[in-house]
Amino acid sequence: MTTSTAQPPAPVGPRFKKQVPHNVKTSRRAAWMFAPSLLVSFIFVYVFIGITVYISLSNWKLGTSPDLTLRQPFGGTYAELFQEQRFQADIRNVVIFTIIFLVLAIVGGLVAALFIHHVTVGKGLFRTVFLLPYALSFIVTGVAWRWIFAPSTGVNEILRSIGIENPPGWTTDTTILGALNDPSGTDFLKIQFGIPVALLPIIFAAAWQLVGFAMAMYLAGLASIPEEHLEAANVDGANTWQRLRHIVLPQLWPSTITCFVLLLHVALKIFDLVVAMSGSGPGFVTDVPGIYIYNYLTSRYDKASAMAIVLLLLTLAVIVPYLIRGYRKERKA
Amino acid sequence: MRVQNKLKVSMAVTAAVSLIAVTGCSANQPAGGGGGDGTNKLEITSWWTSGSEAEALNVLIDGVKSSSPGLSVDNAAVSGGGGANARQALAARLQAGSPPDAWQLHPAGQLKSYVDGGQVADLTELWTQNDWASKLPKDVAEAQQVDGKYYTVPIGVHRGNVLWTNPAVLSKANAAIDPAAGVDGLISTLKQVEASGTTPVCLGDKDIFASAQLLESIIMSRVGADNWKKLFTNEYSFDAPEVKQALEDYKTILALSNKDHSAITWDEAVKKMANGDCAVSLMGDWAYGELLNADKKPGTDFAWVTFPGKEDIFDYVGDGFSIAAKNTPNPEAANAWLKTLMDPKVQTEFAAKKGSIPAVTNADISTLSEYQQEAAKSFAEASVVSSLAHGQVTTAEFAQTYADAVSTFNGSGNVEAFLASMTQAQKTQL
Repeated sequence: MTTSTAQPPAPVGPRFKKQVPHNVKTSRRAAWMFAPSLLVSFIFVYVFIGITVYISLSNWKLGTSPDLTLRQPFGGTYAELFQEQRFQADIRNVVIFTIIFLVLAIVGGLVAALFIHHVTVGKGLFRTVFLLPYALSFIVTGVAWRWIFAPSTGVNEILRSIGIENPPGWTTDTTILGALNDPSGTDFLKIQFGIPVALLPIIFAAAWQLVGFAMAMYLAGLASIPEEHLEAANVDGANTWQRLRHIVLPQLWPSTITCFVLLLHVALKIFDLVVAMSGSGPGFVTDVPGIYIYNYLTSRYDKASAMAIVLLLLTLAVIVPYLIRGYRKERKA
Repeated sequence: MRVQNKLKVSMAVTAAVSLIAVTGCSANQPAGGGGGDGTNKLEITSWWTSGSEAEALNVLIDGVKSSSPGLSVDNAAVSGGGGANARQALAARLQAGSPPDAWQLHPAGQLKSYVDGGQVADLTELWTQNDWASKLPKDVAEAQQVDGKYYTVPIGVHRGNVLWTNPAVLSKANAAIDPAAGVDGLISTLKQVEASGTTPVCLGDKDIFASAQLLESIIMSRVGADNWKKLFTNEYSFDAPEVKQALEDYKTILALSNKDHSAITWDEAVKKMANGDCAVSLMGDWAYGELLNADKKPGTDFAWVTFPGKEDIFDYVGDGFSIAAKNTPNPEAANAWLKTLMDPKVQTEFAAKKGSIPAVTNADISTLSEYQQEAAKSFAEASVVSSLAHGQVTTAEFAQTYADAVSTFNGSGNVEAFLASMTQAQKTQL
């Protein structure tokens, strides 16, 4: 995953006078230098993606007995996949998870960064407190969150003690909020589209853990905003909100994009946190593509591979426009 | 000039290292170690890594060492995922042509996938030489076969369909469970418990196998042992009225269970039962060891009955060992290992540590616990069938389809959708 960072200014001055000139010889040497890493990344990324695509189109069902003939009709595994209730639930869950998680983590990170940037006492302490969860593994925090959201104990004990008779079932709740459809059973769509309530505690836990990461990104962004801009705005009589809206936020835009891209793949790849907190859940309300792939690796190689490719395409659908935009910008510059 | 030379050297080194890295991964080299280097070594893979499992495995290792003096045993156990991780590691080694000498597996369906891949050795000769079939219940011997040939050797037997009960809760509700009264009798008992103000059933299906096993026990009870087997040869349909009835029963029992069942695990559920939070909990007999570890006393804190049904059915979840079809590093040691497994004394000692029961009928069970003795007796007399929830009775694919269908059903309660996906799987996957 690449991220655009500001290009360092071209080195000038006497120390860099002896810079090797660009010619055919040096560029050939550069190609040689890059060859090993290009070769390794070509094999371990693109060849393996190619193999996975091929397996997803083949008859290779069991890990123990490879069958590399192409499946007839072509792409049958994908057709089979798309009809599954579990697959449809997984796609719904990962989309909902990604959207809400990104909003929570990015907004939370921005607020935390603004707070720490302007606080005068205990800056270091706050920074550590917010960043600490990011240093823990999802399995560790997932187990703790599972206890917190356990319906019969956990946070529900507190809710009961303050008089709430029927506290929520958290990850055991099968309700879909704002359902857009009601599948009859014979339709192609076998799930209700909407926000699965059971997913919300997991999204919250994930956002809590990654807020520190977003905060660190924004803190770096805030530090790079020139004081002069803010002072000039002050002199012009801009209030706090106007300064935030017209000076700080626009200059934080690159940090936002970086956060977005880096957190996006955390969301799409999410696996360990869900496994620790709830598993697949009743009716797959908390299932995600990662768990699907893991479950099918020992029983259907082709289906697990097809799901992996779908996951890859989901990632590309967001990353590719971002990369294209980056290239265009570079060219203009 | 010197700088350029350095550059060339470092480029060459990088290229060489990366080439080695690349070719090393596709290595198809013959198995290292084993007989080739003159040492007498035996390598065993399994997923037995927890305390009691590792101790039980050590019984087997000590056994083979005493029968083959001078043999050094390499325990290559891989933990996690209910064996899924170990099977992944094994598959990779089989592909690379570098198998261990022997590996653990569940018999029947899981065995079939290795046979189909031509990766497991035919052990029929070893079986007939030692007359092992006569020392096992017929159903168990059959579970070690694919198409009439033996491919695996059974070491221990677990039972899947045990209903663990809390005597205090049952007597408070003035209720009793009569295995002969069948599923209907069970449900009316459970309703009696509910009327007394206690949750009747403890279930912990955060890992879906727990509900898959509950449903499988109900289906077995409704359709009987013979029809259960026919479900996986496509001679009996999932669309049968008995299966449909079993689904309705399961729905009823699910409604009588703790509301948070999908948030807790099976071991938490059986402990809840022993603590008096509910009357019964269905789980395999590995729950027995879990309850003992939690300082619960058999007979007073908890008791057990076979899951009620019209006949005595033993839901078999077994462990066995196989050896590779080719490239086995030390075939002699592998054979010695398999022979050790079938030694009745070794099987008894293994069962004592693992909490299972011996597979051979001529083992001395008098030293085992009360539960194990009862289970061993039932094992010899009841109809033995293999578990679907544990992927033993048929292919891994079918077992995964079943697990998914149960997860979906737990969310929707849609009987027709469940039956439709299972009959579809019968048509396309068997």
